[in-house]
Amino acid sequence: MTPILPLDPSDDVLIRRVLAGDEDAFRRLYDRHSPRLKMTLRRMLGPRREDADDLLQDTWLAGCRALHRFRGEAKFSTWLTSIGVRAALSHLSHRGEQATEPLAEYEAPTGPEGGSMIDLERALAALPDHQRVVVVLHDIEGFTHEEIGEQLGVATGTSKATLSRARHALRLSLNEGASHAS
Amino acid sequence: MHHEPEFPEYDDDTLRRLALLPRTAPIDPAQADRIVDQLRHEGFFRRRGSIARRVAQAAAAVAIFVLGALIGSRYAQRNSLEQMLTRGNLTVAERVLLLQRAGSAYVRAAHSYADATAQVDSNAVEVASRVLLGAAHAVARNRLDAGLSARLSNALTPVVAPQPIIWF
Repeated sequence: MTPILPLDPSDDVLIRRVLAGDEDAFRRLYDRHSPRLKMTLRRMLGPRREDADDLLQDTWLAGCRALHRFRGEAKFSTWLTSIGVRAALSHLSHRGEQATEPLAEYEAPTGPEGGSMIDLERALAALPDHQRVVVVLHDIEGFTHEEIGEQLGVATGTSKATLSRARHALRLSLNEGASHAS
Repeated sequence: MHHEPEFPEYDDDTLRRLALLPRTAPIDPAQADRIVDQLRHEGFFRRRGSIARRVAQAAAAVAIFVLGALIGSRYAQRNSLEQMLTRGNLTVAERVLLLQRAGSAYVRAAHSYADATAQVDSNAVEVASRVLLGAAHAVARNRLDAGLSARLSNALTPVVAPQPIIWF
């Protein structure tokens, strides 16, 4: 009989249990990592953020199928995010460019900063796909250029150059928005 | 010559807004079920699920069988003739029923004996007569029979002292 899971098992414990066919362990792992992964995917998808649920599902399915290859050299969240990044890039390249969603599609964060946060989300969404992905991974999720280079299959220098261009474009977009508002 | 790209830094306001961006999104509870269904379909959870289910079903079947056997045994024991005779908390109706069952048991025992032997056994006849006589006396002593058992005793007495045989 499968032993009962402890209250707060580590990722390693849960992964071993998932590999042994424990459905409850999978659900614990899913509940732990999905909220953050979903937000990362939404931001990377930009105007196509509504596809985030489908992508989240694809990411977990691919992750579970490849779980026996996870060696624990990186954190599980990093490993899973890298699968999500590849899925997002594939999704973006297949779907092509689409029009940016209207402002109302972005949920305003609570608090007095709500409006300016929407501006930032919109400016991010308006970036070209590869620039947006690098900004999300580096400036929001805290990945290094080496990790981003591995995930995107590009050189570290390419990641740095992309980030440079993305930050420049983002600053222009935000300044433009501010001057329109004033 | 290789040039490191320059990183234009964000201004303080953008940095603050980046830090304040929400890091998590609500997840659809049904989505986990859909993923589990798909993985189960692929055989990911099948082995563990079916074994656990079979073990649980077998355990439940054994538990139900043992519980049924225990309840049945207890019920049968509680309502056996011997147990009822020892109980002091029977109702009047239960005592009447007990009397009927004891009488029926006597009759069945007599039939059984008669069926089992080809010849009349004097020992059995004596035992049967004495039991019947003792029962009749007990009934008479307790005045449960409106005089019937006294007549029965009289009728049974000749069994102890045989009547002369008239030969034709």
